[in-house]
Amino acid sequence: MLAGFANKHGITYTLLSDEGSRVIHELGLFNEQVYEHHAVYGVPRQDHHWGVPYPGIFLLDEQGRVVQKRFQQSYRERETGPAILERGFGLPSSRHGAETTARSEGIEVCAYLDSETYRFFQRLWLTVELSIAPGLHVYGQPIPEGYIPLSIAVAPIEGLIVGEPEWPEPHPDQVEGLEEALFVYEEKVAVSLPLTFTQEGDDQTLQITVRYQACSATDCFLPSTTRLQLPVQAGDLVDRPRRR
Amino acid sequence: MTIDFAKIGPAVGDRFPAITLPGQHGQPVDLHQARAGRRALVVFYRSASW
Repeated sequence: MLAGFANKHGITYTLLSDEGSRVIHELGLFNEQVYEHHAVYGVPRQDHHWGVPYPGIFLLDEQGRVVQKRFQQSYRERETGPAILERGFGLPSSRHGAETTARSEGIEVCAYLDSETYRFFQRLWLTVELSIAPGLHVYGQPIPEGYIPLSIAVAPIEGLIVGEPEWPEPHPDQVEGLEEALFVYEEKVAVSLPLTFTQEGDDQTLQITVRYQACSATDCFLPSTTRLQLPVQAGDLVDRPRRR
Repeated sequence: MTIDFAKIGPAVGDRFPAITLPGQHGQPVDLHQARAGRRALVVFYRSASW
């Protein structure tokens, strides 16, 4: 059966069959909550679901040691290959989808996805990169009132879950005469946020809003709102082509 | 209910246990031997057939 599955999907790597879930049990990965997890999504109980492991990935180094485990709270949510390679093994490979750039007053804003397509419950990563001209900075958090921190928003799409951005650590910038400490980003800052489409649908366009205020040591530009669009196509699932 | 996956299955830092299971060509496959000293992803997939 695995041979047929491998042939059908062009899989060349090794597939192992754990009939009876013996190894799944030995490794402590037996999912005893599979019925409850399915119930969350309204999936009715079926006996043949019993025996599955928690779905997830172990990353092993050259010595076979576990360097990372990537498991999600929802059994449905899966990551893309590029995301695993980049975020797991640190291999730069995240530009696999659409990319768009906008420029204004010393700042270049680039947004890209790690996948051209989205699939039901697949986790995509959106990355927004700012390239900041020398002598300028933008603000991170925490931030005193009146200052505009760097922020990223994605316009709602039905079924799309936008996760929390991963903010790099800004560095402190003590300005003479100012009591409060400011935290800034200079040169380059890249922020990633996870996107999960929880419904199948049509091709989509992400509407992204990036807001920031660029300042030098002495002056500030007006706060900037940059709007970017990224297309993402509906991808086929393993077991069914999408309805067109 | 939140699952603490750090406590489930082989832990980060441990050598992944030795396992041998049949592969898609019917032959038994020893995971570490098949890895042949390379980095690897071990993916637990729920089923190839529902």
